[in-house]
Amino acid sequence: MTAAQIRFAALLRREVSRFMKIKRQTIGAPLLETFLYISVFGAALGSRIDELEGIDYVVFIVPGLIMMAWAINAFSNNASSILQQKMQRAIDDQLSSPASPMELLLAFSFGGFLRGMVVATLTFSAASALVGIPIEHPLVLLPALFLVGFFFAQVGVLVGIRAEQFDDLSFAQQFVMQPLIFLGGVFYSASLLPEPFETITQLNPVYYMIGLVRYGFLGFAEESVALSLVLLTAATAALFAVNLRLFKAGHRLRA
Amino acid sequence: MAAALQITDLTKRYPTGTEALKSVSVEIGQGEFFGLLGPNGAGKSTLIHCTTGLASPTSGAIRIFGDDAIDDYGAARQRVGLAPQELNLDWFLTAQETLDYHGGYFGMAKKERRERSRELLDAFSLTSKRDERTTALSGGMKRRLILARALMHRPQLLILDEPTAGVDVELRLELWQYVQRINQEGTTVLLTTHYLEEAEQLCSRIAFINGGEIVAEGSSHELASTYGVASLEDAYLELVGRKELSRASVAEMPA
Repeated sequence: MTAAQIRFAALLRREVSRFMKIKRQTIGAPLLETFLYISVFGAALGSRIDELEGIDYVVFIVPGLIMMAWAINAFSNNASSILQQKMQRAIDDQLSSPASPMELLLAFSFGGFLRGMVVATLTFSAASALVGIPIEHPLVLLPALFLVGFFFAQVGVLVGIRAEQFDDLSFAQQFVMQPLIFLGGVFYSASLLPEPFETITQLNPVYYMIGLVRYGFLGFAEESVALSLVLLTAATAALFAVNLRLFKAGHRLRA
Repeated sequence: MAAALQITDLTKRYPTGTEALKSVSVEIGQGEFFGLLGPNGAGKSTLIHCTTGLASPTSGAIRIFGDDAIDDYGAARQRVGLAPQELNLDWFLTAQETLDYHGGYFGMAKKERRERSRELLDAFSLTSKRDERTTALSGGMKRRLILARALMHRPQLLILDEPTAGVDVELRLELWQYVQRINQEGTTVLLTTHYLEEAEQLCSRIAFINGGEIVAEGSSHELASTYGVASLEDAYLELVGRKELSRASVAEMPA
């Protein structure tokens, strides 16, 4: 391994080791939360709503829950890891090392990305054991999940860099992320909503992410899959560029 | 032969408008034990932060063994070890992991990291605490671990920012013995301290910094003669405008 590879591996290992050391909180709790959603919305509500768009209701909501698990965990991991290290000034050990801004950004990004992937994979495995979850379009599903995970990992990095206290993270998660995800159609199809709620839902970027993941699993799409993929790729790349710029400038990281 | 540290016309202005460093120039030769003394807020830590990449200089140049600390930061930082003033250890890591990750950030291979961390844990009497989280260590142990971390990648320039603040006499002597030994073996040392007797005993050359400017430089005898006083302590009191506190003045006071 080259020195750069060793360095990147160490930066990434640190991020993974952090969430694995507190896995009850970082893996167990989100997994339980997802199961509560499946139980409440799937089992309880599902007994009254038989099918949505010709798909069993429990099966209809699982792709959205998997996406939600990946998104929220990628976000919260990165935001809290960066803020915590900034507050302890432990991040100075990485910042004063030869690591480049790109290496630092990628390591932080993939830390949250991997945590999201672990929770999403466990959610999928458990949901598959309870109800059959098909994978209709794996070639759409894999890039869609990768992009969603990486997009929210970038949002987490951005919020972590900007935040000065844990209240800032809570605000971003509770007042921005959760409403966008919940109102993005995890539990329903936008076409069933009356106006103006259908149009409002279509203005929510998360709606297109859920649509992509649902299409990958179930083969059901309300919007153009290709256009959604292109827009999600562009948004992820733009956010990555913004974060890289912030790391290069040392914004709220270096004095 | 390039200087270990060459700072030329370094200015650092914070966004608040505060000018922490005003066109500072200083040069430290290879193998020197150099002291930087000054009151709180004089610019000592800012100078160190600019040198190690924790602060971005507004203007000026910093060269570390000939490598530009901004344009060629990777090579420059590889040669520097920083023991900061704050106990900025990562709460999630054990003593052993702290050293191992740090070695990784500097591109050290696994075997080398294992051997070096064992050697340093032993040298700083931390072997029995190797698997303890840093939060469980006493203040003195944290201070030792920070020094061990700074030395992990075998830096050629060791920067010690008030390393003995708040540590007991035994540990202070132990630390100085170790630092003097590695200085004799060729490591250049830059020390900031509020303990003037430490600087007098250890440093071959000392600079006074005040109000963001280097105001005097030389051996402790040269500094005393520059200010026309008998000791480094008196010279320092002249620097900060408190000569009434000198031992001679206090001795002359009526009982």
